Formats: sequence, C-alpha cells, structure tokens
Amino acid sequence: MVTDIEINLIEGLMEQSPKAQQMMVERYGRHVFSQVVRLLPSVEDAEEVYQDVFLKVFLNINRYEEEKSSFKTWVSRIAYNESITWLRHKRQQMIYFEDEDGEAERLSEAEVEATLGHPNQETVQLIRAALKHLPPEERSLITMFYYEEMSVKDIAYVTDSPPNTIASKLFRTRKKLCKIIQMLQS
Amino acid sequence: MKEDYIETLRQQDTNLRDAIRLEEEALPPMPADLNARLMQRVAKEEKKPRRIVWPWIAAACAAGVLMIWLTPPKVTPEDVVAKQKPKVEQQTPSPALPSNGKEVVNPEAFKAEESVIAKAETEKASRRTTPRQEKTENAQMTPPSQAEEPATDLLAVQETEVSTPLPSGEGQGGGSVVMLTERDIPITRPENYKYTPEEIALMKQQANEAYLKWVELELEISKYTLEKMAQK
Repeated sequence: MVTDIEINLIEGLMEQSPKAQQMMVERYGRHVFSQVVRLLPSVEDAEEVYQDVFLKVFLNINRYEEEKSSFKTWVSRIAYNESITWLRHKRQQMIYFEDEDGEAERLSEAEVEATLGHPNQETVQLIRAALKHLPPEERSLITMFYYEEMSVKDIAYVTDSPPNTIASKLFRTRKKLCKIIQMLQS
Repeated sequence: MKEDYIETLRQQDTNLRDAIRLEEEALPPMPADLNARLMQRVAKEEKKPRRIVWPWIAAACAAGVLMIWLTPPKVTPEDVVAKQKPKVEQQTPSPALPSNGKEVVNPEAFKAEESVIAKAETEKASRRTTPRQEKTENAQMTPPSQAEEPATDLLAVQETEVSTPLPSGEGQGGGSVVMLTERDIPITRPENYKYTPEEIALMKQQANEAYLKWVELELEISKYTLEKMAQK
C-alpha cells in the first residue's frame, strides 16, 4: 500500500524536484544507512554506497511498480543490491563460519529453540558474538526478519529470491547460530 | 502452514531478537552532514549534461565500415613482383637437366667465379713475395678497415659479374633482356651458400695477419712504456 505522502513524494521525484529529493532523504535516510552499514565493513564505504543508493533511486524512480512492493521495500531492495554489488566488486577477504560438514543441519529443532528462545542474558551476548561470524547476507536476512519485522515475501523481493528459499535460509541461519554458540561455549 | 510457523518463530526466538536489537543499536550513527553531501552530489550530477553516447558509437562504426568498403585495395611492391615473376620465368627458361640428373652450371657465371678465385690467388701470391718488414710497416700505417678491403672488393666483383645479362634462348633472339642480380637467383648450388676452400684460406690468412698486427701493436706499446719508464 502506498500512502498519499508517498504518492506526492514519488511525483515530486519524477519531476526531479529538489524539495522532494530532500524529503525522500530525510524520510528514508536512516533506514537506508542502517541497512547499508549492516552489510558493509566500514562507515566510509557505507557513506559511499548510501549516496549511490539515493542517486539510483532518483534516476530510476520511473521504474517503481506499486503493485510489486511498498515504496520502502523498493528502496530497501536498491540498498541491498548496491551493498551486495559493492561487496562482490571489492572482493574483501572476510572469514565467516561455513557449515561444510552439515553439523549445524543435524541440530534438532528443540535444541535450537532452547538456545534462541528461553530468555537469558548470557545467551543474548553469545548470540551477539555469533552474529559476527555470519556472512553479511545471512546477517541482513535475519535482521530484516527479526528486527525490521519484514514479511518473508518482502524479504524475498528485497533479496530477489523465492520466498521458500528465504524460509529455508532462515531455518538454516538459526541452526548455524546455535552451532556457533556451541562452538563458542566449548 | 509454513508461514504461520515462521511467524511463531519470530515471536518465540526472544534471545535472538534481543541480540539483533542490541546489535542494531550498536551500529555507528549516520553522519550528520551525509545528507548535505548527498544533495550536493545530486546537484552536481544534475548539472552534468547527460550525453547519449551510443548513436555516436554506431555512427563511428558505420563510417569505419564504409571506409573499408570504399577504399581501393592497396597495390604493394610484393604484389607487383609477384605479378612480374611469371614473366621472368617465361623469359629465362631454367637450364634443362641432363639425362643423368646432374645440375648444369651456367658456364659464364662459372667463368666469372673462376676469374674471381684466380684474382684472389694472385693477390695472395703477390703478398707472399713482399718482404715481411714491408708488410708490417704497411699494416701499421693502414687502419684495419683498409686491410679487409680485398674481401669486400671480391664480393663486389662477384655481384657485378653475376648481374650481367645471362644468355637465354629468347633473349638471344632479340627479345627483352632481363637483368638478374644475385639476389634474384635462388640459391641452388652449394657454392653459393658455402665458403669455398679459397675463401676459407683467405679468411684464415686475414685472421693470421690481424693477429700478427695485434702482437706488433702490443710490442710497440710495451716498448713505448719501457722507454717512458727509462726516461723517468
């Protein structure tokens, strides 16, 4: 659903009105920046990509399709794609946990629920440490789901993946987090 | 069913939700001037005239194709030579091989070579007759480039003598005369690409002479240095 404010904003952007551009930046700036800085390794890189995202939004505003997603989700999609493109382009060497042996997959759902579900401050800190070992795409995925409370359909639109793939990735990432926590504890 | 289950997970994983919230709160804050910088960049981008490049590239490609299509093919000297070669072959028929398969040597060219060899031998003989002292004096006076003159002369003589018009069946009958130099004749005879014994002997002699000259020069130098030392 696109609100009246968004409709006016989009119309202003189509006319390349500086006022509309300023309004757009003020309205979605923080959201875009948090999304970009979450994926990229440094603030300087995030600033660069942030500017690229808005330039792309201003240039491609005609391509926005109301039926496919909300305006915010469309902006998120551009931000996500720009960040991933930047990461792929820079090819920065980062070390993340990869479940190559499938040990995380073998964890039972009860085990995962016990770790992630029962309120425990110590576990929260462990999860925070474990989050750092996840690849940026997975970290972004669970943040969109748990923190931004986006639907699987919207996440699928942002990441340009089928909703079933997103659901599978969510389950896998939860198990992966549990495995990392177990490794950190041991 | 799956969607409902996923929704319950969102509510259920409290630890994970708290951890992500704390992580998000710990993210670096957005710089205050970032939006101002962005707007400056946007203004700059808008000022830049957007050039559409692809029509120009297409026009350049079309012009290139037209240029290639319209320009006549170049006639290179190699092509001219290639065109002329068959004529030469017609005018100068190759000497017929005898029935036993042995190569027939052009008698005049052979004579020319013989005369060159004879000339070289006479030069050698005249050098041998001159006294050694005189030879050394001459060697000291003349630079090494002059000492090698006989060999270069010999080559020049060879080339000019071979480049004289060859008698041919058609040429004798008053037809067009083809001038052939040694470069035009393919090397078919071993004499043309191997050193003859005379040439080898000549080269050895020149090497010996050069060595003697070098020894004499060394002696002169040592004499001079000894004299200088004696004067001191």
